[in-house]
Amino acid sequence: MRFAKKDIGQYLPEKEYIDTVVIPLVPFDPSSDKNMEKQAFLRELNQVFTNVIEKEYRGRIFLSPDYHYMSDGQDEEVERINQWIHHFREQPFKHIFLFTFDMKWKKYEKDIEGELIWVPGLQTGDLQSTETQAFVKEQAKEISELIQSYW
Amino acid sequence: MSDKKRVSRRQFLNYTLTGVGGFMAAGMLAPMVRFAIDPVLKTQEGGDMVSVASVDEITNEPQRFEWTIDQVDAWYESEVQKTAWVYRNDSDEIIALSPICTHLGCTVDWASNEEYPNQFFCPCHAGRYTKDGVNVPNTPPTAPLPVYQHEVRDGMLYLGDAISREGA
Ligand code: FES
Repeated sequence: MRFAKKDIGQYLPEKEYIDTVVIPLVPFDPSSDKNMEKQAFLRELNQVFTNVIEKEYRGRIFLSPDYHYMSDGQDEEVERINQWIHHFREQPFKHIFLFTFDMKWKKYEKDIEGELIWVPGLQTGDLQSTETQAFVKEQAKEISELIQSYW
Repeated sequence: MSDKKRVSRRQFLNYTLTGVGGFMAAGMLAPMVRFAIDPVLKTQEGGDMVSVASVDEITNEPQRFEWTIDQVDAWYESEVQKTAWVYRNDSDEIIALSPICTHLGCTVDWASNEEYPNQFFCPCHAGRYTKDGVNVPNTPPTAPLPVYQHEVRDGMLYLGDAISREGA
Protein backbone atom coordinates (compact mmCIF):
# COMPACT_ATOMS: atom_id res chain seq x y z
CA MET A 1 0.00 0.00 0.00
CA ARG A 2 1.06 3.56 -0.56
CA PHE A 3 0.18 6.92 0.83
CA ALA A 4 -2.50 7.47 -1.79
CA LYS A 5 -6.22 7.95 -1.32
CA LYS A 6 -7.25 4.72 -2.97
CA ASP A 7 -4.79 2.63 -0.97
CA ILE A 8 -5.62 4.29 2.32
CA GLY A 9 -9.28 3.53 1.67
CA GLN A 10 -8.32 -0.11 1.39
CA TYR A 11 -5.88 0.00 4.29
CA LEU A 12 -8.10 1.46 7.01
CA PRO A 13 -10.72 -1.28 7.20
CA GLU A 14 -8.07 -4.00 6.80
CA LYS A 15 -5.36 -2.62 9.08
CA GLU A 16 -4.99 -5.78 11.06
CA TYR A 17 -3.46 -7.39 7.94
CA ILE A 18 -1.10 -4.60 6.95
CA ASP A 19 1.34 -4.59 9.82
CA THR A 20 4.63 -3.62 8.19
CA VAL A 21 6.03 -0.26 7.09
CA VAL A 22 9.01 0.50 4.90
CA ILE A 23 10.40 4.03 5.19
CA PRO A 24 12.89 5.01 2.47
CA LEU A 25 15.72 7.18 3.85
CA VAL A 26 16.86 9.46 1.07
CA PRO A 27 19.74 11.97 1.34
CA PHE A 28 19.35 15.30 -0.36
CA ASP A 29 21.75 18.22 -0.44
CA PRO A 30 21.08 20.95 -2.98
CA SER A 31 24.20 22.92 -2.00
CA SER A 32 26.61 20.75 -3.94
CA ASP A 33 26.52 19.99 -7.65
CA LYS A 34 28.48 16.84 -7.13
CA ASN A 35 26.19 15.45 -4.44
CA MET A 36 23.06 16.35 -6.29
CA GLU A 37 23.76 14.07 -9.19
CA LYS A 38 24.71 11.14 -7.02
CA GLN A 39 21.80 11.65 -4.67
CA ALA A 40 19.34 11.96 -7.50
CA PHE A 41 20.51 8.61 -8.75
CA LEU A 42 20.22 7.04 -5.31
CA ARG A 43 16.75 8.43 -4.91
CA GLU A 44 15.65 6.83 -8.14
CA LEU A 45 17.33 3.57 -7.25
CA ASN A 46 15.63 3.63 -3.86
CA GLN A 47 12.29 4.12 -5.60
CA VAL A 48 12.88 1.26 -7.96
CA PHE A 49 13.59 -1.01 -5.00
CA THR A 50 10.75 0.02 -2.80
CA ASN A 51 8.37 -0.15 -5.77
CA VAL A 52 9.34 -3.74 -6.44
CA ILE A 53 8.83 -4.66 -2.80
CA GLU A 54 5.58 -2.74 -2.48
CA LYS A 55 4.19 -4.39 -5.57
CA GLU A 56 4.88 -7.94 -4.42
CA TYR A 57 3.76 -7.43 -0.82
CA ARG A 58 1.22 -4.64 -1.00
CA GLY A 59 -1.28 -6.60 1.06
CA ARG A 60 1.00 -6.51 4.08
CA ILE A 61 3.53 -3.70 3.55
CA PHE A 62 2.80 -0.01 3.65
CA LEU A 63 5.34 2.08 1.76
CA SER A 64 5.88 5.33 3.63
CA PRO A 65 6.57 8.63 1.86
CA ASP A 66 10.33 9.18 1.53
CA TYR A 67 12.19 10.55 4.49
CA HIS A 68 14.56 13.20 3.10
CA TYR A 69 17.50 14.59 5.04
CA MET A 70 20.65 16.63 4.48
CA SER A 71 23.49 14.25 3.80
CA ASP A 72 25.43 14.89 6.99
CA GLY A 73 22.59 15.50 9.36
CA GLN A 74 22.27 12.06 10.95
CA ASP A 75 22.93 13.40 14.44
CA GLU A 76 19.91 15.66 14.39
CA GLU A 77 17.75 13.40 12.30
CA VAL A 78 17.53 10.40 14.58
CA GLU A 79 15.00 12.06 16.83
CA ARG A 80 12.76 13.08 13.96
CA ILE A 81 12.93 9.61 12.43
CA ASN A 82 11.90 8.13 15.73
CA GLN A 83 8.95 10.50 15.73
CA TRP A 84 7.85 9.11 12.38
CA ILE A 85 8.23 5.64 13.81
CA HIS A 86 6.17 6.45 16.90
CA HIS A 87 3.38 7.78 14.77
CA PHE A 88 3.40 4.72 12.57
CA ARG A 89 3.27 2.55 15.65
CA GLU A 90 0.06 4.22 16.67
CA GLN A 91 -1.77 2.74 13.69
CA PRO A 92 -0.58 0.16 15.00
CA PHE A 93 2.13 -1.04 12.66
CA LYS A 94 4.20 -3.81 14.16
CA HIS A 95 7.27 -4.02 11.93
CA ILE A 96 9.04 -0.87 10.88
CA PHE A 97 11.91 -1.00 8.41
CA LEU A 98 14.07 1.85 7.20
CA PHE A 99 15.54 1.32 3.78
CA THR A 100 18.69 3.15 2.73
CA PHE A 101 21.87 3.03 0.66
CA ASP A 102 23.56 5.52 2.96
CA MET A 103 25.99 3.70 5.21
CA LYS A 104 26.28 6.63 7.59
CA TRP A 105 23.11 5.33 9.23
CA LYS A 106 24.83 2.15 10.36
CA LYS A 107 26.45 4.10 13.18
CA TYR A 108 23.07 5.23 14.46
CA GLU A 109 21.36 1.92 14.08
CA LYS A 110 21.04 1.30 17.80
CA ASP A 111 19.34 4.67 18.35
CA ILE A 112 16.73 4.14 15.67
CA GLU A 113 13.60 2.44 16.90
CA GLY A 114 13.03 0.49 13.72
CA GLU A 115 15.03 -2.05 11.76
CA LEU A 116 17.59 -0.51 9.46
CA ILE A 117 18.06 -2.20 6.11
CA TRP A 118 21.20 -0.82 4.61
CA VAL A 119 22.10 -2.05 1.17
CA PRO A 120 25.43 -1.12 -0.37
CA GLY A 121 23.94 0.45 -3.47
CA LEU A 122 25.43 1.10 -6.82
CA GLN A 123 27.05 4.50 -6.57
CA THR A 124 26.05 5.48 -10.02
CA GLY A 125 24.89 3.81 -13.17
CA ASP A 126 22.04 3.46 -15.57
CA LEU A 127 18.70 2.41 -14.11
CA GLN A 128 17.66 0.88 -17.41
CA SER A 129 20.72 -1.34 -17.79
CA THR A 130 20.41 -5.07 -17.44
CA GLU A 131 23.10 -4.98 -14.71
CA THR A 132 21.02 -2.64 -12.59
CA GLN A 133 17.89 -4.68 -13.19
CA ALA A 134 19.65 -7.86 -12.16
CA PHE A 135 21.05 -6.13 -9.09
CA VAL A 136 17.64 -4.83 -8.06
CA LYS A 137 15.93 -8.17 -8.62
CA GLU A 138 18.46 -10.12 -6.62
CA GLN A 139 18.63 -7.62 -3.79
CA ALA A 140 14.89 -7.09 -3.61
CA LYS A 141 14.50 -10.81 -3.19
CA GLU A 142 16.98 -10.86 -0.32
CA ILE A 143 15.33 -7.94 1.36
CA SER A 144 11.86 -9.36 1.12
CA GLU A 145 13.11 -12.61 2.60
CA LEU A 146 14.59 -10.62 5.44
CA ILE A 147 11.30 -8.81 6.02
CA GLN A 148 9.39 -12.08 5.90
CA SER A 149 11.64 -13.52 8.59
CA TYR A 150 10.09 -11.00 10.97
CA TRP A 151 6.52 -12.03 10.16
CA MET B 1 10.74 -7.47 22.90
CA SER B 2 13.72 -8.51 24.99
CA ASP B 3 17.11 -6.96 24.40
CA LYS B 4 18.60 -10.27 23.62
CA LYS B 5 16.19 -10.82 20.83
CA ARG B 6 16.96 -7.43 19.39
CA VAL B 7 20.63 -8.22 19.24
CA SER B 8 20.10 -11.49 17.53
CA ARG B 9 17.88 -9.89 14.93
CA ARG B 10 20.45 -7.28 14.35
CA GLN B 11 23.11 -9.89 13.95
CA PHE B 12 20.92 -11.64 11.49
CA LEU B 13 20.65 -8.42 9.57
CA ASN B 14 24.38 -7.96 9.64
CA TYR B 15 25.01 -11.44 8.36
CA THR B 16 22.52 -10.93 5.62
CA LEU B 17 24.05 -7.68 4.57
CA THR B 18 27.56 -9.02 4.62
CA GLY B 19 26.40 -11.63 2.20
CA VAL B 20 24.86 -9.01 0.04
CA GLY B 21 28.19 -7.85 -1.39
CA GLY B 22 28.82 -11.25 -2.84
CA PHE B 23 25.39 -11.49 -4.31
CA MET B 24 25.92 -8.12 -5.80
CA ALA B 25 28.99 -9.23 -7.68
CA ALA B 26 27.23 -12.38 -8.85
CA GLY B 27 24.25 -10.32 -9.89
CA MET B 28 26.36 -8.08 -12.06
CA LEU B 29 28.03 -10.93 -13.86
CA ALA B 30 24.92 -12.87 -14.63
CA PRO B 31 23.17 -10.94 -17.34
CA MET B 32 19.43 -11.20 -17.46
CA VAL B 33 19.37 -13.54 -20.32
CA ARG B 34 15.70 -13.16 -21.05
CA PHE B 35 15.96 -9.40 -21.25
CA ALA B 36 19.08 -9.47 -23.30
CA ILE B 37 18.30 -11.95 -26.01
CA ASP B 38 14.70 -12.93 -25.93
CA PRO B 39 12.65 -11.16 -28.59
CA VAL B 40 9.57 -12.73 -27.05
CA LEU B 41 9.50 -10.04 -24.41
CA LYS B 42 9.15 -7.27 -26.91
CA THR B 43 5.61 -6.06 -26.96
CA GLN B 44 3.86 -6.76 -30.22
CA GLU B 45 0.66 -5.31 -31.45
CA GLY B 46 -2.20 -7.77 -31.49
CA GLY B 47 -5.27 -5.84 -30.48
CA ASP B 48 -4.93 -5.55 -26.73
CA MET B 49 -3.27 -8.92 -26.58
CA VAL B 50 0.41 -8.98 -25.85
CA SER B 51 2.82 -11.73 -26.81
CA VAL B 52 4.42 -13.07 -23.65
CA ALA B 53 5.90 -16.47 -24.39
CA SER B 54 6.52 -19.06 -27.02
CA VAL B 55 4.06 -21.95 -26.63
CA ASP B 56 6.77 -24.57 -26.50
CA GLU B 57 8.07 -23.03 -23.29
CA ILE B 58 4.81 -23.89 -21.57
CA THR B 59 4.81 -27.04 -19.46
CA ASN B 60 2.50 -28.72 -16.96
CA GLU B 61 4.28 -26.89 -14.19
CA PRO B 62 3.17 -23.28 -13.72
CA GLN B 63 5.89 -20.84 -14.76
CA ARG B 64 6.07 -17.15 -14.20
CA PHE B 65 6.14 -14.92 -17.29
CA GLU B 66 6.58 -11.18 -17.21
CA TRP B 67 5.93 -8.42 -19.71
CA THR B 68 5.30 -4.70 -19.65
CA ILE B 69 2.47 -2.58 -20.93
CA ASP B 70 2.01 1.17 -21.19
CA GLN B 71 -0.65 2.36 -18.85
CA VAL B 72 -2.13 5.79 -19.24
CA ASP B 73 -4.37 7.51 -16.74
CA ALA B 74 -5.44 11.13 -16.53
CA TRP B 75 -2.04 12.32 -15.30
CA TYR B 76 0.64 9.81 -15.93
CA GLU B 77 1.79 7.49 -18.58
CA SER B 78 3.73 4.67 -17.05
CA GLU B 79 5.24 1.34 -17.90
CA VAL B 80 3.62 -1.33 -15.80
CA GLN B 81 5.03 -4.75 -15.34
CA LYS B 82 2.54 -7.59 -15.66
CA THR B 83 2.99 -11.15 -14.56
CA ALA B 84 1.18 -14.42 -15.22
CA TRP B 85 1.48 -18.00 -14.02
CA VAL B 86 1.15 -20.13 -17.14
CA TYR B 87 0.84 -23.90 -17.58
CA ARG B 88 -0.98 -26.64 -19.49
CA ASN B 89 -3.70 -28.44 -17.58
CA ASP B 90 -4.51 -32.15 -17.86
CA SER B 91 -6.70 -31.54 -20.91
CA ASP B 92 -3.72 -29.84 -22.58
CA GLU B 93 -5.35 -26.41 -22.40
CA ILE B 94 -3.21 -23.39 -21.64
CA ILE B 95 -4.13 -21.67 -18.39
CA ALA B 96 -2.77 -18.21 -17.55
CA LEU B 97 -3.51 -16.97 -14.06
CA SER B 98 -3.00 -13.54 -12.56
CA PRO B 99 -0.62 -13.73 -9.59
CA ILE B 100 -2.44 -11.02 -7.66
CA CYS B 101 -3.87 -12.43 -4.45
CA THR B 102 -7.59 -11.69 -4.22
CA HIS B 103 -7.23 -10.98 -0.51
CA LEU B 104 -5.20 -7.77 -0.42
CA GLY B 105 -3.11 -7.90 -3.55
CA CYS B 106 0.23 -9.53 -2.75
CA THR B 107 1.90 -11.61 -5.44
CA VAL B 108 1.39 -15.35 -5.07
CA ASP B 109 4.03 -17.95 -5.79
CA TRP B 110 3.67 -21.48 -7.12
CA ALA B 111 4.69 -24.24 -4.70
CA SER B 112 6.65 -21.89 -2.47
CA ASN B 113 5.31 -23.46 0.73
CA GLU B 114 6.75 -26.88 1.38
CA GLU B 115 3.58 -28.11 3.01
CA TYR B 116 1.54 -27.36 -0.09
CA PRO B 117 3.73 -28.24 -3.06
CA ASN B 118 0.77 -28.26 -5.47
CA GLN B 119 -0.76 -24.95 -4.62
CA PHE B 120 -0.23 -21.26 -5.14
CA PHE B 121 0.83 -19.66 -1.90
CA CYS B 122 0.57 -16.06 -0.78
CA PRO B 123 3.44 -15.02 1.51
CA CYS B 124 1.48 -12.20 3.11
CA HIS B 125 -1.19 -14.05 5.09
CA ALA B 126 -0.75 -17.63 3.94
CA GLY B 127 -3.57 -17.48 1.39
CA ARG B 128 -3.70 -20.57 -0.84
CA TYR B 129 -5.13 -21.55 -4.22
CA THR B 130 -5.29 -24.89 -5.97
CA LYS B 131 -3.55 -25.27 -9.31
CA ASP B 132 -6.62 -24.07 -11.23
CA GLY B 133 -6.44 -20.86 -9.20
CA VAL B 134 -9.43 -21.57 -6.97
CA ASN B 135 -9.01 -20.24 -3.45
CA VAL B 136 -8.72 -22.77 -0.67
CA PRO B 137 -11.52 -22.31 1.90
CA ASN B 138 -10.47 -21.08 5.33
CA THR B 139 -7.52 -19.13 3.99
CA PRO B 140 -7.92 -15.33 3.66
CA PRO B 141 -8.71 -15.01 -0.08
CA THR B 142 -12.39 -15.13 -0.93
CA ALA B 143 -12.19 -15.44 -4.70
CA PRO B 144 -10.12 -17.42 -7.22
CA LEU B 145 -7.15 -15.87 -9.03
CA PRO B 146 -8.31 -14.01 -12.15
CA VAL B 147 -7.70 -15.73 -15.49
CA TYR B 148 -6.05 -13.97 -18.42
CA GLN B 149 -7.78 -14.08 -21.76
CA HIS B 150 -5.41 -15.84 -24.08
CA GLU B 151 -4.81 -16.63 -27.69
CA VAL B 152 -2.20 -18.62 -29.56
CA ARG B 153 -0.90 -17.26 -32.84
CA ASP B 154 2.17 -18.38 -34.80
CA GLY B 155 3.43 -20.42 -31.92
CA MET B 156 3.24 -17.50 -29.53
CA LEU B 157 1.02 -17.05 -26.49
CA TYR B 158 -0.81 -13.74 -26.35
CA LEU B 159 -2.45 -12.55 -23.15
CA GLY B 160 -5.13 -9.92 -22.74
CA ASP B 161 -7.06 -8.75 -19.70
CA ALA B 162 -7.28 -10.68 -16.46
CA ILE B 163 -10.90 -11.58 -15.75
CA SER B 164 -12.10 -11.91 -12.15
CA ARG B 165 -14.00 -15.00 -11.08
CA GLU B 166 -16.64 -15.63 -8.45
CA GLY B 167 -15.58 -16.86 -5.04
CA ALA B 168 -15.44 -20.51 -3.99
S1 FES C 1 -2.80 -10.74 0.48
FE1 FES C 1 -2.69 -12.83 -0.02
S2 FES C 1 -3.38 -13.77 1.77
FE2 FES C 1 -3.57 -11.70 2.26
